[in-house]
Amino acid sequence: MKRRKFIKNVSVLAAGGSLMGSCATSSKKIPGKIIGASSAVGHLMRDGKLNSKPVSETMTVKVAVIGSGVSGLSAARQLLKNKVEDFVLLELEPHAGGNAHSGSNDISAYPWGAHYVPLPNNDLKEYLSFLEEAGVITSYNGQGLPVYNEYHLCFAPEERLFINGLWQHGLIPNFGVGEDEQQQIKRFLLLMDEFRNKKGNDGRDAFSIPVNNSSQDEVFLLLDKMSMKEWLQQNGFTSPHLHWYCNYACRDDFGTRYDECSAWAGIHYFAGRKGKAANADSGDVITWPEGNGFLVKHLMKEIGSKIKTNSLVTGIKQDNNKVEIVYWDVAESLLKKVVADFCIISTPMFITQRLLNYDKAKSDKVHNTFHYCPWMVANITVKELEEKRGEDLCWDNVLYESESLGYVEATHQLVNQLTPRKNLTYYLPLTKTDPVTERKKAIEMKHEDWVKIILDDLKKVHTNIETAVEKINVMIWGHAMIQPRTNYISGTIRKELSHSGFSNIELAHTDIAGISIFEEAFYQGINAADSVIKKLAS
Amino acid sequence: MQVLLLLAIFVIATCGLIYELVAGTLASYLLGDSVTQFSTIIGVYLFSMGVGSFLSKYFNKHLFRWFIVIELMVGFIGGFSAPVLFLMFPLASSFRVVLYAFVFLTGVLVGLEIPLLMRILKDKLEFKDLVSKVFTFDYIGALLASLLFPLLLIPYLGLIRTSLFFGILNILVGLLLTFKFEKEIRCSASLKFTAIVLLLAELFAFAFGDTIMNYSETMTFNDNVIYATSSPYQRIVITRSKREMRLFLNGNLQFSTADEYRYHEALVHPGLAALSNPKHILVLGGGDGLAVREILKYPSVESVTLVDLDKKMTGMFSTNYLLIEVNQQSLTNAKVKVINADAFSWLKENKQQYDFIVIDFPDPSNFSIGKLYSNTFYKLIWEHLAANGLTVIQSTSPFVAPKSFWCINATIESAGFFTTPYHNMVPSFGEWGYILAAKYNGYKVPTVYPTGLKYINQAVAQQMLLFPDDMKVKDTVPVNKLNNQALVDFFEKEWNAYLQQ
Repeated sequence: MKRRKFIKNVSVLAAGGSLMGSCATSSKKIPGKIIGASSAVGHLMRDGKLNSKPVSETMTVKVAVIGSGVSGLSAARQLLKNKVEDFVLLELEPHAGGNAHSGSNDISAYPWGAHYVPLPNNDLKEYLSFLEEAGVITSYNGQGLPVYNEYHLCFAPEERLFINGLWQHGLIPNFGVGEDEQQQIKRFLLLMDEFRNKKGNDGRDAFSIPVNNSSQDEVFLLLDKMSMKEWLQQNGFTSPHLHWYCNYACRDDFGTRYDECSAWAGIHYFAGRKGKAANADSGDVITWPEGNGFLVKHLMKEIGSKIKTNSLVTGIKQDNNKVEIVYWDVAESLLKKVVADFCIISTPMFITQRLLNYDKAKSDKVHNTFHYCPWMVANITVKELEEKRGEDLCWDNVLYESESLGYVEATHQLVNQLTPRKNLTYYLPLTKTDPVTERKKAIEMKHEDWVKIILDDLKKVHTNIETAVEKINVMIWGHAMIQPRTNYISGTIRKELSHSGFSNIELAHTDIAGISIFEEAFYQGINAADSVIKKLAS
Repeated sequence: MQVLLLLAIFVIATCGLIYELVAGTLASYLLGDSVTQFSTIIGVYLFSMGVGSFLSKYFNKHLFRWFIVIELMVGFIGGFSAPVLFLMFPLASSFRVVLYAFVFLTGVLVGLEIPLLMRILKDKLEFKDLVSKVFTFDYIGALLASLLFPLLLIPYLGLIRTSLFFGILNILVGLLLTFKFEKEIRCSASLKFTAIVLLLAELFAFAFGDTIMNYSETMTFNDNVIYATSSPYQRIVITRSKREMRLFLNGNLQFSTADEYRYHEALVHPGLAALSNPKHILVLGGGDGLAVREILKYPSVESVTLVDLDKKMTGMFSTNYLLIEVNQQSLTNAKVKVINADAFSWLKENKQQYDFIVIDFPDPSNFSIGKLYSNTFYKLIWEHLAANGLTVIQSTSPFVAPKSFWCINATIESAGFFTTPYHNMVPSFGEWGYILAAKYNGYKVPTVYPTGLKYINQAVAQQMLLFPDDMKVKDTVPVNKLNNQALVDFFEKEWNAYLQQ
């Protein structure tokens, strides 16, 4: 047994030798393309070229929802649940879903953006009932804890980190980390645990979801005035491994470096989640091969026919207590109009301010306060990969000190025995410099430039990646998500701009929630719809 | 001339030592006990060099030509030593004789070279310079070899290619010398021709180093390999000796014809004989058709559905004459339907119910097979089992891996089943475990069995239910779930500990 294994290892070495010999093939062209969020269509609006054309048709509805990301879909679903059926959803892209967009190929479905949700907090009644509807929660146990669908809980092994030449289990650096640093990491995690259970002087949880439910106690709001990095330094955390981990966490959840990210948001990453389940541990996550595309599918279930895709809204006007929405039908190249009693705008703020024609003072506030990090997400189709020592291939695979966030393996959540080919979804938040510069750079990059970046990164852990890769598709998210920089969440501008200023126009987006997570978007939609429903009834 | 000949010494010294290191390493891999292997090989090598030196006095004419011939012979014999030894290992009954013959031959040839060279150069250099230069290059070559071997050659080239690589070097040196000193050698054309043929042969072998490696790997079984093939899922190897035929999947023994009836009778009959009038049977895994052979001993059975991932496996066991003799053509029986699909996905997509379900998967040695031992999987089994039906699960060895065994039991129970664990002795595997599961409590060992069984009867089935203390666990074991894969951890730890003994 041992002997055979020994020989096998030698043959792997021999195979490695042959690979070295065939390095010349590394310059082969990797198939694939850049699949952009429709920035070209979007820029039609910015450039104002469409306003001169005549309107070809007009539609009248009770409610118009603009944007079909999770906020918009959730608003539409809430309307329908409350018997408001006369509404329409306008979406610029050819598909709904926003950041939770997904794709599929002959191997499996895969995410293009958001790819999991943590165990939900148990006080989020509406959210839990949605998950029950979607079959994610199958029942409740005797203590009232949700029982999760075992096909949807992330299968083991969940996460691994490549550090000091080995894949270690879990993402918190451990292998080869010195005793003092280990102690610091332990102390840090204990502190996060304390924050998770802390309440403010107003009786609310210090860190809650939605963010706006969190305590307004000054003690905690002060954390929003400093960066996560400053907070670590002030609290005597010097461990480089801990600093890396916090930076990774801030970039992972918020697309923001930890020296820019508010400490409040950074801590929220750890302390905001308090979900308990009958059949899962609190750190577990819920995921599907297509990522949050699964949830989008269920949000859309009954409203699919109400969504008008390829519809670029060019302007919104208030007229006689009605809202007039003009949009460009990209497919038909026609300008069309929707007249609605109420409108829910669930677009990011840099779009919203243009749709509502904000004055200079207000739009300056938007520019100076709302920052969006660009992301590159790639879906990589690979044949069998060579592995380094340590933990087997996991769902989430992260490389210590890599510029990327590593990759998620889409076939992990399939029950099939063997998937010789796999889909890896690779995430790279472009946070090196400021978002504007990074965005410009990203748009100029060619497919082969991205391929080189990806392969150079993954070569460290899969020596045969260049020969194993079949295809790499790349998506550039120019404005992927709002950055919770310092003073943003606790500041006044976010609150001020969370209202449109018109009684029949509601805003719903994670930009004004503060952080870009599924639950926030879900409740943004519900709250906006609820206030429209209330006004409709009166 | 001098410089070239000294370079030749350098290459010969390097190559000579490399061949010995290759032989030593290979012997350690294949035979174990590296201290013995290395010390005997180095001893034999040095001794045979002495023999070579002694023999050198019998070479009196055409010294230069002999020098080159020997150079080519070293290149040929040394170069092919690793591939030949790898291939010989499973075939030759006295592998050691071949091994030491190789070492002895290379030693003799290398031992011949230095005295010959010194005699060639004796008129061109003063004696003290000659000795100093020749031995300097000789020893530098040795140092280089001993450093290159572990640091560069083994990691990047592997054993087979290392030996071929130095064979090629040897031959190139010989070839170079032939060209340079054409005039001083008789019949240089025939030498050149031989050198080029040898060179091509070694280059060819070098290019196919991996294939040789793989081929030799399948031959590291104890018995003769009579069939070996690869499917997209696994490496399938069948070996045969006078006494038995064995099937290996990825190097793991699946059955031996000497005692597989013990395993398959124990797997099928305690459950199936307990059912009155079983009609529809499902077998998951078990592509060898041996469980199906047992099932077909029940006349009431109307249909057997076998779901196995690997088409190659079920294909072989449906057509190969040696194999269908073992499974008595069970897979081509009219009652049997073979489906090549992933068991988990297939169960999710199909809704039929069965009276008896046999679950005969490989041991849970990795996360992907671990899914087939999860509570989620057993809940799916529940949906496919008739109310009065029974299912049986092969559950690894309760002696080697008690935690794994009882973890499987706890997992099946967590899906709502009443379980009856049992075990028996299968000499090829050791003490082996099975778990019967039903939707009702009160399984009783059957009294009547099909005729012609070699192992199971009522008394034997009854005693299989007894577990001595060394197959039990004290602590409670967790349920194996998709999101914890607790079983794979247990399995790995327990089997590793056992195999390391």
